[in-house]
Amino acid sequence: MPEPLIDLQDVTKSYPGVEEPAVKSLNLAVEPGEILVLVGPSGCGKSTTLRLINRMIQPTSGRIIYEGQDVTKSDPNELRRRMGYVIQQIGLFPHRTIAENIATVPKLLKWPKKRIRERVDELLEIVSMDPSIYRDRYPSELSGGQAQRVGVARALGADPDVLLMDEPFGAIDPITRDRLQNEFLRLQAELKKTIVFVTHDIDEAVKMGDRIAILRDQSEIAQLDKPEVILTDPADEFVENFLGSGAVLKTLTLRRVRDIDLDPMVTVKQPVHRGQALAEMNTANTTTAVLLDEQDHPLRWIDERALNSSTSSLDRAGRPITVQLQPEDTLQDALSAMLQTSSGMSVVVDGRGKYLGCCTIESLAGLLLNQGNGSEHS
Amino acid sequence: MTTVTAPLPTATTRKRRSLASWTSDQLDLIVTPVLALILLILLVVVWTYSTFDLTTERILEPSQLARQLWQQLYVAFFSTVIVVAVAIPIGILVTRESAPKVKDTLVSVLGLGQAIPAYGLIVLFFVWLGQGPTTVIIALATFALLPVLRNTIVGLEQVDTSVIEAGKGMGMTGVQRLARIELPLAVPVIMAGIRTATVINVGMATLAFLIGGGGLGETINAGLKLNRPTAIFIGAVLVALVALLFDFLGGLAQRYLRPKGV
Amino acid sequence: MDGIVNWWDYLSSRWDLVGATLMETIIYVVTVTVSAGVLAIVTGILTRNRPFAKEMSLAIASVFLTIPSLALFTIFIPLVGLGFAPSFIALFLYAILPILRNTVTGLDSVDPSVLESARGMGLTKSQVLLQVQLPLAWPVMLAGIRVAALLTVGISAIATLVAGGGLGDFIKSGLARLPLPNSLEAIWTGVILSLALAFTIDVLLRLLGRVTTPAGVR
Repeated sequence: MPEPLIDLQDVTKSYPGVEEPAVKSLNLAVEPGEILVLVGPSGCGKSTTLRLINRMIQPTSGRIIYEGQDVTKSDPNELRRRMGYVIQQIGLFPHRTIAENIATVPKLLKWPKKRIRERVDELLEIVSMDPSIYRDRYPSELSGGQAQRVGVARALGADPDVLLMDEPFGAIDPITRDRLQNEFLRLQAELKKTIVFVTHDIDEAVKMGDRIAILRDQSEIAQLDKPEVILTDPADEFVENFLGSGAVLKTLTLRRVRDIDLDPMVTVKQPVHRGQALAEMNTANTTTAVLLDEQDHPLRWIDERALNSSTSSLDRAGRPITVQLQPEDTLQDALSAMLQTSSGMSVVVDGRGKYLGCCTIESLAGLLLNQGNGSEHS
Repeated sequence: MTTVTAPLPTATTRKRRSLASWTSDQLDLIVTPVLALILLILLVVVWTYSTFDLTTERILEPSQLARQLWQQLYVAFFSTVIVVAVAIPIGILVTRESAPKVKDTLVSVLGLGQAIPAYGLIVLFFVWLGQGPTTVIIALATFALLPVLRNTIVGLEQVDTSVIEAGKGMGMTGVQRLARIELPLAVPVIMAGIRTATVINVGMATLAFLIGGGGLGETINAGLKLNRPTAIFIGAVLVALVALLFDFLGGLAQRYLRPKGV
Repeated sequence: MDGIVNWWDYLSSRWDLVGATLMETIIYVVTVTVSAGVLAIVTGILTRNRPFAKEMSLAIASVFLTIPSLALFTIFIPLVGLGFAPSFIALFLYAILPILRNTVTGLDSVDPSVLESARGMGLTKSQVLLQVQLPLAWPVMLAGIRVAALLTVGISAIATLVAGGGLGDFIKSGLARLPLPNSLEAIWTGVILSLALAFTIDVLLRLLGRVTTPAGVR
């Protein structure tokens, strides 16, 4: 196990006049380069925990170690300039341009002007916003999604090793949120920052997290593990309840089409030899086949009737194949694709569109059933 | 009289202020009596321990002070009635949807109206209407009309539009919306308007002496003319006490006559 | 029309007096607005994180506005005598509330998430105040300064009754000489110049607002 980048040791936060501490003897190690998601019901202390890391809240007792140094008593402003911080409401400075917003921390660190200018443009490019358009605009001119991007760019301003994100996508409509999550994951694959991410949404946690810490009251860690382990093997009843009844379904987002065995459907390749095709379907005891063109690209679903009727052209027989899956797609994508077709199956193609096989709802169900049994046994 | 110079963005103030355990409205009810008490003690001390010469004694003749106080309250009462009867209906009219869009202009013009010297206004009315309490009443009403009208407009504008929309959506007519939603929700503001008018008028009535309208201003003026600082001081403290008393009563009324839940 | 012509004659025959008297009122407006502004803004800043102190200072500032002007102008005479001093004190006390209240409102209405993110990026307390809170609160604070200045123009007319000078002098002398010639003109001079001054101040402060309000929050 690598040396943790951030290490909370026995951290407690209590407020005067409140008997129960908000965070009680928390030990949490964040490894370099990972996205650690803190997830839990509201009021469990997950935001407090995040704010303890950059000392927005001063711990009552315990130690905070950052890059091997005890920062519990050091200057909090110095510390915060080394950690990006993104909150749900973003909090862009309305009286400053986008460029000035992004330049906030570099300016505090007294970077030379030229370097700041270059950094701003670079960051705008990174979050897919055209610098020439947005540099001199004001936050009031941005949509919610754009403001969120600028918020991330601002947090990355002085290239900190750590990003602290408190429900960063919480206030954004679901479609934009999904897109921003994907973009962010792509960004993270390049940047390899160490990220602590707070959310109350278990789906978001599963999607974003390399590891997930499920917290209960007083920020007590109920379970801390990789998402697939938590989903398939919840530590206790609390975690199970928190995951909800759909936990098994959620594992669909973690597994990919390549993980399941594809069904070898009968294929009919153009130019078609009808008799041979019918014979093959007979042997396989099936009524449907996949029609491929000369380059093995799947074209249509065809059935016996179309093959028997010598008058109709195969180009218009059966049904066209509208949805194709690729091995990298998640099983959740696969499930929704199959539910769109009445046959309950979908073709899988490789990156160049060549036919690989079929994925059926039965094979998916089999996988889920095995998993469900598996978790009960353990 | 905290409403006289209410800044326009009061909606947010209200929300934020409720976060503090004490609001300045509540503290008003403490600070005002405390200041009044201090003044009262000063008054008693000065009255008891200073030696009055004959002139001062004549200025501070108790029966004369009582008459002046009565004149002051009489003038203040009637001018307040006029202000409320005129300012609130006008405020309602100009905030109707169908009304010509004059209210923004009106609000800023009324803001400028603060700069009209009350002194000059009273004198001009005297030139126009002659001496007497009626002139004073009309002059005071004109002066107090501006801030009260401005507050009424701002107060009605402050009513949450989504509540009005909801009323519209339930099929309420304009009159029903006014009677059942806007006015009840604006009661605190209207109460504040009445309080404002009362306090302005009680205070301005001190200037009635300028045009022979009587009031406690006579005592202050006599002290000024005859160079009797003690008399000036006692007159000023009396005026301040009357104003503080009315402000305090207004504050109480505002607090306890407010509809529940608002 | 005659009235206006007469008034103009009255005015043009004594520009010196008009200028001097107007200057006295302007001095009241400037000294009062600046000193009350400094006190109110400093108080607003110092009490911004102390709810009780904040509400207490608002309550105290607002009680002054309750006290009738003639009383407040004269109550300090035994202590400071007649003239500029008692007038200045009274006007100063009146002018605190509008500026203090708007400073408090302005600082309070800065979006908490903006402050949170400012702190989270490592701005020090004074950097948050100077770079974020004050620029964002400034338009509201300026509106309070404007109200205070206009209020001072109006109330300063009373100063003449305690020998404090200013445009009220015209009203007082006009009233004293009624119905002699030029008395009405004198009264109108006091009223109209007050309004003209108020209008000028209003325009100037609005312009100042334009220039000093940060772009992006206009």
